[in-house]
Amino acid sequence: MARLNANFWNRNKFKLSGLVLLLPVYFLYRSLHPSFPAAMAAATVGEFSVIPTPLDDAQPYQHDGEYIKDFMVTFKQGDLAHIRQGYMNIGTTALPLSQMQQGELGILHGSRYGQHVHALASDHIDDGARLWLTLETWQGKILVTSWPLPTEWLAH
Amino acid sequence: MYKLSNRFWFSFHGWCALPIWVLFCFICLTGTIAVVSHEITWLVNPNARASNPDNLPAKTPAELIAVVEKAYPGAEVAQVMVMDAYLINAVIFSDHDKPMAIAYVNQYSGKIQEVNAGLTFVGFMRTLHGWLLFPWQHGYSIGYYLVSAMSLVLLGSLISGLMIYKQFWKAFSAPRIRTKQGKKTLLADLHRLAGVWSIWFILIISLTGFWYLIQGITYHMGIEMEPHAPTISGQLLPTTEPSAFPVSLQQALHLAKQRYPNFNPSYIGLPEHNRDNYHLYGSGGEIFFDDYSYQVAVNPWQGQIMQASSPTDMNTLQTITHIVDPLHYGTFGGLWSKLVWFVFGSLLTGMSITGFIIWSQRLVRAKATTAETSWKKVEEHC
Repeated sequence: MARLNANFWNRNKFKLSGLVLLLPVYFLYRSLHPSFPAAMAAATVGEFSVIPTPLDDAQPYQHDGEYIKDFMVTFKQGDLAHIRQGYMNIGTTALPLSQMQQGELGILHGSRYGQHVHALASDHIDDGARLWLTLETWQGKILVTSWPLPTEWLAH
Repeated sequence: MYKLSNRFWFSFHGWCALPIWVLFCFICLTGTIAVVSHEITWLVNPNARASNPDNLPAKTPAELIAVVEKAYPGAEVAQVMVMDAYLINAVIFSDHDKPMAIAYVNQYSGKIQEVNAGLTFVGFMRTLHGWLLFPWQHGYSIGYYLVSAMSLVLLGSLISGLMIYKQFWKAFSAPRIRTKQGKKTLLADLHRLAGVWSIWFILIISLTGFWYLIQGITYHMGIEMEPHAPTISGQLLPTTEPSAFPVSLQQALHLAKQRYPNFNPSYIGLPEHNRDNYHLYGSGGEIFFDDYSYQVAVNPWQGQIMQASSPTDMNTLQTITHIVDPLHYGTFGGLWSKLVWFVFGSLLTGMSITGFIIWSQRLVRAKATTAETSWKKVEEHC
């Protein structure tokens, strides 16, 4: 391994991997100061006022055989305990509840201080697609609302 | 049979770790610290200690949740972690002013000793060692691949080291550290001796690390080695709003204990939505299986067990998955095996440093030899 020409490069090239260690410092800072895309506008459906925030601007990704896109969902009004189940999907229409409750993805989960959802989607987002929220109350009432998607997500 | 030369093995040994020497050394060091991160926390933070001067029995996770909910009426508990007997239990919850907090609850006294809303030392060290804090993006992290691929470097270093040091077994019966023949000889002796005495450790760490690489790839590809519990059918949910789940966590734990009498809970995940189950993970006394080798999912509405598994019904891949962690972390024998892992982890870190110093000194000597030869040639020409 010894190089006869012990110039600066030969003496230090094996230490260069240490520069990779600057990245954990940067990533630690990023994790302590997370930033997300802009939250969507609040929508009112039934007694609930809901604000979804995408976790990134990337296209949907595949998990467990489904394409999904992640959102944080904040309920500004309404009691989450009144909801039997809630789902999100991205598409031109809201998927029927009977279809969504067959699977395990797409369901709202978490605490009343912040819900999380892997919204069901296809491999890429089509023009005309919206973000759909479908809520079912304990009495079986179905509530549906939707949001337009950021233009940068479309036309891929 | 074609025989590879010593020169080849020496060169290969250097190329295994030298180009990434600093990174390799850092990963060894962080792993060594991560092994005893709970114990370091215990040492420096009295709130993390589960002292029990009155010899009280440990409260159940359900009782500890009740303690947190009483102290924080707005709390929504998501998980409970049960660790070694000398460490507190962690109750993870969210509240109106806390997106995620960890209550350090003394399981004997039932006292909340601290509420930590930030990064813990244990979490930080394990994340730093596991994937260098590189972000996870939809199933993979470049840092995780970087770290787990080091297993190949480690295995290559071991094999080539043993090929260079032909009669390495002599280091067991007649260890040799020459202290009076210069720094280079001393470092080389230390490097070789530590290497030989660490053969078993390097093998374990590199093979388990290689398994983490395989696991990372399969996870990235969406292949699940273990089936997860089915969610409850939407049609089976009640049609009137309940005040709470009809089946309590205490009842779910009782069901798990009925299914597996030796079940010892280590991690409890409460239902995240109305179609979710109680997810109970634990150990059962098998020395080399991890704290997640017993899994029971209980339906919180009807109380039936939706999924259960234990070491006896695991296939080969699942068995490997559950014995890798105790071997890599050295947790299978409690505190004492962790300390052994810490000592050998320190030796491995030291070997990466001595290896680099030996290489640097060879470089200096080679340079000096070249300069001397050139000077002689000049003298001859004069």
